[in-house]
Amino acid sequence: METSRDDFVIALRSAFLKKGTQQRFSLLSLIFFSIIFLIFSSLNFKVVDYLKIAINEIVYRSSFIVSGPENFIKNNYIIVQNHFDLYNANKKNELEIKKFKSDDISRKIIEFENIRLKEIINDYFVNDNEVVAKVLIDKKSPFLRSIAINKGSKDSIKLGMAVLDGIYFIGKVVEVNYSTSRVLLISDINSKIPVAIEPNNTQAIMSGNGLEKGIIEYINKDLKGNEIGDSIVFTSGVGGLFKSGIPIGRIIKKKDPSINQSFVNFYKDLSQLKYVKILSFKKENLKFETNKKKENNKVSTETLKNSTDENITLIKRQKEISDEIRLKLIEQNIILSEKLTKLQSEKKQLKKLIKEKDIIIQQEAEHHKNKEFLELNLLYGHKCSKNNVKNILKKKYKIGSPEYKACVMSKGKN
Amino acid sequence: MNLANKRIYLLLYKYFPLILLYTFIINDFDFTYTDYEYFSFNFSYIVIFYYSLKRSQSLGYIFIFLAGLFNDVIIGTPVGLSSLMYLILCGAGAYLRNITLRPSLIKDSLFFLLTILIINSILFLSLNFFFNYELNSLKEMMNIAFTFVLYFLFSKIFDLFEGFFVGTDNVR
Repeated sequence: METSRDDFVIALRSAFLKKGTQQRFSLLSLIFFSIIFLIFSSLNFKVVDYLKIAINEIVYRSSFIVSGPENFIKNNYIIVQNHFDLYNANKKNELEIKKFKSDDISRKIIEFENIRLKEIINDYFVNDNEVVAKVLIDKKSPFLRSIAINKGSKDSIKLGMAVLDGIYFIGKVVEVNYSTSRVLLISDINSKIPVAIEPNNTQAIMSGNGLEKGIIEYINKDLKGNEIGDSIVFTSGVGGLFKSGIPIGRIIKKKDPSINQSFVNFYKDLSQLKYVKILSFKKENLKFETNKKKENNKVSTETLKNSTDENITLIKRQKEISDEIRLKLIEQNIILSEKLTKLQSEKKQLKKLIKEKDIIIQQEAEHHKNKEFLELNLLYGHKCSKNNVKNILKKKYKIGSPEYKACVMSKGKN
Repeated sequence: MNLANKRIYLLLYKYFPLILLYTFIINDFDFTYTDYEYFSFNFSYIVIFYYSLKRSQSLGYIFIFLAGLFNDVIIGTPVGLSSLMYLILCGAGAYLRNITLRPSLIKDSLFFLLTILIINSILFLSLNFFFNYELNSLKEMMNIAFTFVLYFLFSKIFDLFEGFFVGTDNVR
């Protein structure tokens, strides 16, 4: 026990009191200094403040050198991180560009298709003239629903132009003066507007009833009733006066199914009009080929203006687009050829089936003929047979010969 | 290896613990105060304890004392407190070195845990009662726990470093 205590004391003494070969102070003396510093700092001695200032100076000056490696690592890390970010961003951008390119191609294809289809149905309307006018007078007679506006022939207003409030159709111009015009509202009883009822695209004529409602007329009898209830009414464009697809109102759902007429609730309150828009439409002479040529011409003039590099980029882009279109067409071609092969094989199978059926039908016909022959043979065979004694004087045939058969079939008359 | 290079290597080896200690203290980069709420550890304690145990002459007591003063000025604790803690840690390391015949990492680390528990208690009590600092005891406990756990990792790393200079067998 005594020995272990001695060991402990020796070890402690060695640790705290013994100075190393290059040590100027023992650990205990430094601990003592620390405690003195602590006491001084708790008592706010000026010496401690000076010491603090001196240490701060040393720290600030040396931190520049000491933080060198750290800053170097940090900067390099940031550079590497930036490179990775850039790489990821580039990858993302590439994907987005690819997506946009394919979207653009699809859009272009749809655009061209749309132009072609519009060309086929000859219904490509664009806004020709748009004039905004103020409502001067709003006549509220039950027999006349019209408004006077402050624009006339001097503002290029013409008879039959469509009048809109916002995006909603409200009437058409029926009278044009030099500086004013009169608009017949869709609620007027004389107003007859060709409309389409969506979603079924039912064609009809809408007339006014003198009140704030429209009446659907000349509609197919089968479509009257609940089928068109709660549908949306648009201008149909029939007649070529207005563009198709301008919203007018919504069909009021019938409470009583026995009522034959369908009414339209207009989107706009026609008694509250202040400013209206007068529009005329014209058919746009868009042609796929000419459009393409124009584009090509435009591109070629641009390419002449631009530098050689830009020209190359443009041509490359065009090529890329045309390549992608070609690829899409090839894909479609493959799908179609697959369909064709499938249809051809189906056709072959069907032909085979028809042949088989023909053979069966032929067999059936022969069978039927034989049956008929046998039946007739029983009845008239004796009249045609040579073997019969009664027929010696008559011209008769050998049993089984074609003449005999013909004789039997003609019921023994030959 | 030529003579000049050898001298640089020797100098680097000799002053590595001091460079490490001062770099981390001056840069305020000793993980005592991190952005994570409960993750922090005292890297200076690990360096001081490891090197006062393994290579006591590499860290002069006066340099440790000065490192403590620097640390106090930088983190804003009363001047002399960190020096006191570092020196107690040094003393504990020296004591353990004196009583140890067969060094083992487990014993070292357990003694390290005991020492940091004592010095953190002294730190906590002195800051709370004498200097009116408010310390979060839970955070302090987590700091002690992480310092203890990471002592294993860093002692292995330092062993590798020492092994690189003096050979693996001579490290232990």
